Amino acid sequence: MPALLEITGLRTEFRLKTGVLKAVRGVDLTVEPGETLALVGESGCGKSITAASVLRLVPPPGRIVAGSIRFKGEDLLALSEERMREIRGNRIAMVFQDPMTSLNPVFTVGFQVAEGLRIHRGLSAQAAEREAVELLTQVGIPAAKDRVKDYPHQLSGGMRQRVMIAMALACGPELVIADEPTTALDVTIQAQILELLDRLMAEKRMGLILITHNLGIVAERAHRTAIMYAGEIVESAPTAELFENPLHPYTKGLLASLPEFGTPGEKLATFAGGVPDLRGDLAGCPFRERCPIGDDACERETIAMREVAPGHLVRCRKVS
Amino acid sequence: MTPLLTADNLVKQYPVRGGMFAEKRILTAVAGIDLELYPGETLGLAGESGCGKSTVARLLTGLTPPTSGSIKYEGRELARMSKSELAQYRKEVQMVFQDPFSSLNPRMRVAEILGEPLEIHRIGDAAGRRDKVAELLTRVGLSPEHMMRFPHEFSGGQRQRIGIARALAVSPRLIIADEPVSALDLSIQAQIINLLQDVKKDLGLSFLFITHDLSVLRHLSDRVAIMYLGRIVETGSRDQVLDRPLHPYTEALLSAIPSIDPGKRTRHVIAKGELPSPVAPPSGCPFHPRCPYAQPVCSEQRPELLEKVPGQRAACHFSEEIFLKETK
Repeated sequence: MPALLEITGLRTEFRLKTGVLKAVRGVDLTVEPGETLALVGESGCGKSITAASVLRLVPPPGRIVAGSIRFKGEDLLALSEERMREIRGNRIAMVFQDPMTSLNPVFTVGFQVAEGLRIHRGLSAQAAEREAVELLTQVGIPAAKDRVKDYPHQLSGGMRQRVMIAMALACGPELVIADEPTTALDVTIQAQILELLDRLMAEKRMGLILITHNLGIVAERAHRTAIMYAGEIVESAPTAELFENPLHPYTKGLLASLPEFGTPGEKLATFAGGVPDLRGDLAGCPFRERCPIGDDACERETIAMREVAPGHLVRCRKVS
Repeated sequence: MTPLLTADNLVKQYPVRGGMFAEKRILTAVAGIDLELYPGETLGLAGESGCGKSTVARLLTGLTPPTSGSIKYEGRELARMSKSELAQYRKEVQMVFQDPFSSLNPRMRVAEILGEPLEIHRIGDAAGRRDKVAELLTRVGLSPEHMMRFPHEFSGGQRQRIGIARALAVSPRLIIADEPVSALDLSIQAQIINLLQDVKKDLGLSFLFITHDLSVLRHLSDRVAIMYLGRIVETGSRDQVLDRPLHPYTEALLSAIPSIDPGKRTRHVIAKGELPSPVAPPSGCPFHPRCPYAQPVCSEQRPELLEKVPGQRAACHFSEEIFLKETK
């Protein structure tokens, strides 16, 4: 049986006046039904552009230049725009980071949750609204019958994020992509939203791509984790394995720099330098300049992902 | 030891209007807090958005006058300081802001950004100021060559370094840092945390460090105060508050943090519902509507912030029953 989502060799580029920015440089990913895959990396590493590519929503001047994205065996990149619209928001849904800017301020939240149901399932306005009340109740919005008449600004950040999740779930998607779904929220509200996502994912056997930079959330929630750096996946493994046995120097450095692992008052581990310019010549390993174990050959060789333990892949020549 | 800075029953209220014909109401951002900050120590102030922690920073730096209560710096009351004393206060108490993008003037070069506080406080002549700016840049891990650049030419982490250099320019004794690393990427966050620690150690500064991130709080603070809805609900040493909390809100906050270390994952005590409005705070204990341990008395009587064990104070009627029963 084909995987729920299988991305192979994805390359997404932005043609800028200053050069071609290679935002995603050959990403391979697989998501199975009921599985939560965490995609982790710092700003600019290409994680959000990877997500946008799956939905074919890369903003211009960005363009997918190579690779395939198979959703239950069907290549999304080969579909007509019309067929893609039937999948987007229906079978693959997205939860964005900032519920304030991703909800429309001039429509009620009930209307926005119901919109997908009217378009994709052809429900009447009344039936769609009844269903919207049901969905808002499911995501834990109290007195949902009254809340459907509210506009986004009348709700708190946590409630708006619940509305976003209700919208994403409206049509019963098979895959949900959540881009930093709790980053804008307080920790006690974040805990509530993550519990909710977990419960819904398990109940409905949906696949989830969770994009985040919060390693604590990843460790607690994801089945598998992929670490991105400069447009590439540099390491991927079952989550517990990745945190117990990180192999790529970038993953190791990232974990060592967390205050959670430092001794209070002592220095935290850091790496020098910054990420390479993605417009430049990117031969060899993009991490080499910041890498504590790299050598001359890392600058020239193209480095492939290698499986070093069952399901544990790493893109580094120095790892045996 | 006498405290460097003391806040006594500090209150800040703002009038808010619901709509054109709505009645004027009062939002109480800070509802009577006491704080003491000793020379050379780092006090970490934590809480979720809207708890009033940034208002506390604005009050302590003198950017906003309090509605009532007093702030004393080295025993002298801020409200009664003469103009020259106030100028001295503003020089000795500096601020580092959260957002390194909006807190630096985009039209000024780094040399002007760092030179301006020196000029205002009439420190040195033009040549001396230039040397001082070069020294400051080196101090925060940048290079004197960066002097003629504009803020947009720097990354977020570098900009935060400039923000720190600006605070250090006039040789302060106390730095109030409001979420200085929250806007930064993980690997950059560690660099800035290290820089703040170096600065503190080398210059013997006091710090008031405001954050919502408890792992950063643990790493940097000597003492900790937890705020909820305009009040301090718990305070004590870092290890006391973060390892043996005596307030249910601190416990909920700690257990809500996702942890990488499976050993650190405790049972999740999930705070129900959301932060109540500071315009209409709940009766009694402000946390009682969300508290898993709430009893009828909690909605009637507001618990005072009392010392429960030496050095650790909590505002909860049931600290003893909930948290201290095993140790007795």
